[in-house]
Amino acid sequence: MSYRLRLLPLCIAFASLVTVSAHAGDTQDVVRNRSIGYVMTNREWAVYTTAARTECPHGINAVGPREWFKAQFPNDGTTRTYLDTAMTFEAEVWAPSGKADRRFPLYQAEGNISYGLNLDGKIGRNDFTSPEGEKGIDNQLYRAIGCLVAYRDPGALNTSKYMQDFNFSRVVIEITGVDSLTNDDDVTLTTYRGLDSLTVDAGGSGFLPRGTERVDERFGKELIQHFHGRIKNGILETEAADVSFAMTWGLSDVTSFTIRGLRWRLKLTPDSAEGIMAGYADVDNFYFFLNKVLTTHLQTYYQLSSLALYPTLRQLADGYPDPKTGRNTAISSALTVKMKQVFIQHAAQETASNDGEHQEARQTKAEASAAQ
Amino acid sequence: MVVAVGSVMALPDDARAQQQTAVHEEYEDVQMPPGFQVMVNELEGPVFADAKGRTLYEWPHMGLRNGETGDIKGSKSQCSDVVSRETAGFQTPWPPGLLLPDLDTRPSCAKAWPPVLAPENATPIGSWTIVPRTDGTKQWAFDGYPLYTSMLDKQPGDVNGGTKHALVGEGPAVRIPVGPPPVIPSQFAVVQTSTGRMLTTADGFAVYSLDGDRLDKSTCEGSCLASWEPVLAPQSAQPRGEWAITERSPGIRQWVFRSKPLYMRAYEKHYRVIHSLQGSDVPGWHNVYTLPAPSPPGEFTVQDALAGQVLADSRGRTIYIYRCGDDSIDQLACDHPDTTQALRFVVCGHGDPERCLETFPPVLAAPDAKSDNYIWTTIDIDPKTGHRAAPDQPGALHVWAYRDRPIYTYVGDEKPGDIKGNGWGEETGARNGFKAFWLRDDFGGNAG
Repeated sequence: MSYRLRLLPLCIAFASLVTVSAHAGDTQDVVRNRSIGYVMTNREWAVYTTAARTECPHGINAVGPREWFKAQFPNDGTTRTYLDTAMTFEAEVWAPSGKADRRFPLYQAEGNISYGLNLDGKIGRNDFTSPEGEKGIDNQLYRAIGCLVAYRDPGALNTSKYMQDFNFSRVVIEITGVDSLTNDDDVTLTTYRGLDSLTVDAGGSGFLPRGTERVDERFGKELIQHFHGRIKNGILETEAADVSFAMTWGLSDVTSFTIRGLRWRLKLTPDSAEGIMAGYADVDNFYFFLNKVLTTHLQTYYQLSSLALYPTLRQLADGYPDPKTGRNTAISSALTVKMKQVFIQHAAQETASNDGEHQEARQTKAEASAAQ
Repeated sequence: MVVAVGSVMALPDDARAQQQTAVHEEYEDVQMPPGFQVMVNELEGPVFADAKGRTLYEWPHMGLRNGETGDIKGSKSQCSDVVSRETAGFQTPWPPGLLLPDLDTRPSCAKAWPPVLAPENATPIGSWTIVPRTDGTKQWAFDGYPLYTSMLDKQPGDVNGGTKHALVGEGPAVRIPVGPPPVIPSQFAVVQTSTGRMLTTADGFAVYSLDGDRLDKSTCEGSCLASWEPVLAPQSAQPRGEWAITERSPGIRQWVFRSKPLYMRAYEKHYRVIHSLQGSDVPGWHNVYTLPAPSPPGEFTVQDALAGQVLADSRGRTIYIYRCGDDSIDQLACDHPDTTQALRFVVCGHGDPERCLETFPPVLAAPDAKSDNYIWTTIDIDPKTGHRAAPDQPGALHVWAYRDRPIYTYVGDEKPGDIKGNGWGEETGARNGFKAFWLRDDFGGNAG
């Protein structure tokens, strides 16, 4: 088992503070060999909410597995079996029919404002307008999850927390071919899994740039994807590609989720990148990912029923039709992301610096050499 | 210390007896009451057994999501001879009081886990004590925990009732085989992993050996020492059994195990990577085991996956283990062909055994398939019930088994290294579901 001591980044933090203050905003310092790296520190499904909850005119969903059980099997003294009650729920969870079921109602989000990107280049009848006024926003997932507490309250699902805590879930991007962080019409964004802890500030809750991330090109190979893009006025926009992200809620549930036709829109600075990634979430992958990481007992705490969600996801799916059935297999979606700049170390990279003590490739080579 | 290991009794199965004597791990010669012995299991290492060769287990108390069960150290057994009929409600959100499956065949806790009874005139010895049972009989305890055998152990030397391998996730309160401690200096520990009983430092750092080293000579010198740190022995340390000491230079003593000087990897100490297999990626260097895990069938493969390496079938499809403990106060196993199959059918087939054969098919074995050990075996399964098939039963499936339990692949895995079935079922597959057969996990503890 591997883990990183939380103390390590804390120890690094003080030194990093000094470095940051000396170099903040210095593009030349962070763009090396025409490339810059960032590590993801926050990632949440993009859900537009208002204080008055006008987007949820029917209310907030409050029927999770516990409420379902009480409704179906009231405590009236009837003798019941485990298989005919609780296990009927689990049976449905792992083999859902996909058909709407009155036992599992789901209130959808309404309105015409949502975060996201125009994924199909069209302005459709069901599309949203972004809070900034951009039309044609594709984010049907918002309709499905927008009135679920777990997704409305940033941080409720701990998606960012567990991404921060576990290196298994670490997301690093490397932008290459960079001539300018302000305007460059030909760059490539590549996703990797990083292998190192985030560099946290002295308080332990904020994150700092100028850390180092080794990238996992072996077990994280399937997470590597390339996106062609361009930077205009400091905003990077990419073309679409399919990509998967590793995620765990506690290392017992190592798995990944997949987004098809993902595009990035990021505001870049020498210290950070922030913005949105949007694409079509594979419906089955989204559903089973949810069940594998947020088991029935966790869904209970959130009054979230994946069984209620699944037929809605199916109903709202708007992309990637099955070639045989014509039925859409993916649903437009968006996630907000925040990142901090990092220096990236590739496994096979030979650096000119003398910091090989912590550079696995150099070390492994030395070890092999020494052993022979 | 016991040097020659293996079974100390004649086994009815000659092949198994030969195999047992080949299994080798030194253990401390602890005091035992009359009628008990130590047997060395191919996977679990040295375990206590009764005179008939039945492995002894303990059931440590464990906190669960909505309650607790198991034996409290120093207290009497919580495992009674009354058949539990209802759920305990340990699992959120399901309430207690629901009738358990297969009640007509459900054993009591004491039938599934027969207590190891002590005769009237038995007296405590060493770490062995005697605790009263509610029916007035006496039960042996070791280190304060009442002892049991398992109804799942059929032959002397079987350890099918439980494992020392710590399982990740919110699983049931499991039984653990009990045995004497291994012979290791106090600076070291032995960790049960998928690849064997791994030797580590007491802090959990993997210990390595280097090709070319000898009992009296380490060849790791100069720049090698920047990456590999000899495990130094204190001046007071003495050679013992398979443990020796080599003097690298005057006053600098290095531990040697089975004629190989031992090292830690500097990288792993720096990054606090414990139980690691990563050092063995470096040519010439190897993890050290007191007892390597028995080899899987030769047709199986190893595939890189998202967190490390998984065992796979001959076509590269990831192998899955089904794990299950029921929601009774007894926490009885439901992952063995001799136990209820109802809960497995729920998560793999909506209650339909035939559907399970499609989603998580068992790994079929050739009619003449052979294994060189007793951890990997072939068994015949009735596809309609999931239970063991009768001899020559038409339509029975001849399948590979690990620890006497069928193994599976997942229909959704499309290419080698896919682990889409990992975590399938209740509680990320830890309570009633499927876990990939992790041989190596660089991020968590799924391989040990």
